[in-house]
Amino acid sequence: MDELLLASAILLLAAAQVLQKRGAVRHLAGGPGPGGWRSALVSPEILAAIACLAFGTALWLAVLYRMDVSKAFPLLSAGTILVLIASRVLLGERVSPARWGGAILVAIGVALVAAS
Amino acid sequence: MSTGARGFGLAALATSIVLSAAGQLAMKVGMRELHRVGIGALASADWVALGPALSWTIVGVAAYAVSMLAWLLVLARHPLSYAYPFLGVSYVLVYAVATQWSALAEPSSPLRTFGTLLVVAGVVLVSATGAHRQPTS
Repeated sequence: MDELLLASAILLLAAAQVLQKRGAVRHLAGGPGPGGWRSALVSPEILAAIACLAFGTALWLAVLYRMDVSKAFPLLSAGTILVLIASRVLLGERVSPARWGGAILVAIGVALVAAS
Repeated sequence: MSTGARGFGLAALATSIVLSAAGQLAMKVGMRELHRVGIGALASADWVALGPALSWTIVGVAAYAVSMLAWLLVLARHPLSYAYPFLGVSYVLVYAVATQWSALAEPSSPLRTFGTLLVVAGVVLVSATGAHRQPTS
């Protein structure tokens, strides 16, 4: 139950990151002008990001109800790995081998915290 | 990128990191309060008993929301794979405050400390390498 809640929250919050980036690039790249903000806030990417955030945050509160924040928050960094994969696959950003190495360190750290 | 724009980006990044850590801690205090009064207080809508839990949770979620808005400004200027790992600093803040602050006083263990440090090392490695080219605007 705890694991399922945690995994769902991490997935939704990571998805929100990727959606925010797509929205920011498409609507705010020229700087935060008034028109840019309006079109960004009502864009499908940002609305979907807000939905993922709202639902993910509700699940996250349920996680915090059951778990120490000093344990739960490092586990959230598993989202970093998901975001790195998504930034390569969905956003087409280049990811260097060293960055993948960092992601592996994060994964080991997450495993240790999960075991603690 | 002009010096002013870069300073603005750094201020947004710092705001985002500090508020995301503060938001996590406040949400946890809120959930602790909810634990203390019992989840039944939600079902019976006992707003007086729920006061502290709701206040902390609302403050936490608000801090989290503002950190997300600051984050949006950061993302407009940097690739996600560059910007995201800087949030690693917030892991140190959350861990330090959650274990040292008397309101939470969470137990720290060598395994959890080491795991958290590995997470931070991982996100620093991810952010410090690769020499991402800045968007030329």
